[in-house]
Amino acid sequence: MTNNYLIETRGLTRRFGSQLAVDELNLLVPAAGVYGFLGPNGAGKTTAIRMLLGLIRPNAGEVRLFGESLNGNQQLLMRRVGALVEAPSLYPHLTGRENLEVTRRLLGSDRNLIGLALATVKLTKDADRRVREYSLGMRQRLGLALALLNKPDLLILDEPTNGLDPAGIHEMRDLIRRLPEEFGVTVFLSSHLLGEVEQIATHIGIIHEGQLLFQGALVELQSKQQMRLIVGVKQVHEATEFLVNTGWSVQRCVDDLLSVSTKAPDDAMRINKLLVDRGVDVFHLAVSQQSLENIFLNLTNGTGRSE
Amino acid sequence: MSLVRALHAELLKLKRTLAFRVVFVLPLLIALLQFLVILRTRNYAPGFNLWQTHPTNSFQIWAVFMMPLLIALVTALLNGIEHSDKQWKHLFALPVPRPAVYFAKLVVAQGLILMSTLVLAVFTVIVGIAGTYLRLGLVNAGPVPYVWIAKQAAFVWLASWLIIAIHTWISMRWAGFPIALGAGIGGTFFALFAASASLGKYYPWLLPMNIFVNGRFEMALMLGIGGGIVAAVLGCFEFTRRDVI
Repeated sequence: MTNNYLIETRGLTRRFGSQLAVDELNLLVPAAGVYGFLGPNGAGKTTAIRMLLGLIRPNAGEVRLFGESLNGNQQLLMRRVGALVEAPSLYPHLTGRENLEVTRRLLGSDRNLIGLALATVKLTKDADRRVREYSLGMRQRLGLALALLNKPDLLILDEPTNGLDPAGIHEMRDLIRRLPEEFGVTVFLSSHLLGEVEQIATHIGIIHEGQLLFQGALVELQSKQQMRLIVGVKQVHEATEFLVNTGWSVQRCVDDLLSVSTKAPDDAMRINKLLVDRGVDVFHLAVSQQSLENIFLNLTNGTGRSE
Repeated sequence: MSLVRALHAELLKLKRTLAFRVVFVLPLLIALLQFLVILRTRNYAPGFNLWQTHPTNSFQIWAVFMMPLLIALVTALLNGIEHSDKQWKHLFALPVPRPAVYFAKLVVAQGLILMSTLVLAVFTVIVGIAGTYLRLGLVNAGPVPYVWIAKQAAFVWLASWLIIAIHTWISMRWAGFPIALGAGIGGTFFALFAASASLGKYYPWLLPMNIFVNGRFEMALMLGIGGGIVAAVLGCFEFTRRDVI
């Protein structure tokens, strides 16, 4: 083991025909915690995940799991990985328990693991019902149980809350949040909803059109948040001219409200003092912080969205 | 070892499916047909030995029509359960060699076809014995050729390996019953034309029938088994290298 990254990709690239689905992706997923792999639909998340699992082969680049190349070591490395890609793959004519038993037989693992996996996802009560009768949320949880069956060190989940109702989303989110702590598993999870990931992830990677736009700790992303100061003034033209001349970036919002780009909360005091000293009447002062959702949209749209 | 595990898993997947019923019902249809034929035949020549014609007839109908249909159905069923929920992406992300999954499918399909052919053999014996009791003209039928019937069942099955391998690949490669069934019906249909062509004797869907044709027995057996193994290896090579989208 050369480093602490559970997942490391180097220049990972995959084309479908002339379309570049994943473009020189360099993922670094540290051990422990939850890594949120974010991007709009069609950004290349699923393609990237399928390459991590050896389901499709890259045109260029390399996947390393647990510090070792996936190429040639797949059987060995996959023993330590559990995966749920898109909708869970279940046999509807079998019961929940039988579905787990199919995978258990393939892996040749211990029988006790089935009960454990069922308990983890709270399906013990419904284990002997056919999957045909399961709700979408139950199916998703069973899919998670399949991924957890072999006690993996790394769990790869592709859009695990997709298509679930709010209760199902809540349940799934709670479950995923508990996993790193209770089972010591590192979770790599993809989503197209930042709000979804923001609540459980410790690290974030943002992918758009096959390219990684941001990668780092969640706090790092949060520090990128821009602040704006909304100032209400009587003398709009005079105030705008004065602030621009003193080096601030100013936009007119509506009527007599100005929006000023700021860096620190202290800027509010400074601007207020400047304006008042200048003899401008200030009647409104509010700090507005750009949400992460907007940062995400800005990064992935390429264009800023004004507030 | 992985193959044994994969086989073990395959058997559980068949629970509550139609697989075992189909394996039983198709030979039953032939047995019923044969039974009616024996009952309705007007006259039997004196000394007519039912065992010289009846088992061969049974197996020939089986070889030409029912078994190819059964192969198409069984392989489509075995692989349909993997296509329905895109199970391949789950299976192939497990630490299980892909060829183990492929050959487990093939072996289970072969097993079910063998089982069905043996069921036919048993029905053939039962129908024959019933016939000798029910028709006065058949009292001279003589002893039941158990060993001969068992051998024919085994030969027909071995000659079908090539068809099984082709169908296993088709039904894994393409999702959906129509394609698998279409291939089966097409294969059987063209056998009618191939039968009259000079190279027709090598046609995969005619191999089981050729077991009963003079001078073609050994070719049918060799090509059935050998071709079946080669086709299985090629199919496995192609399928396990595919991207799982």
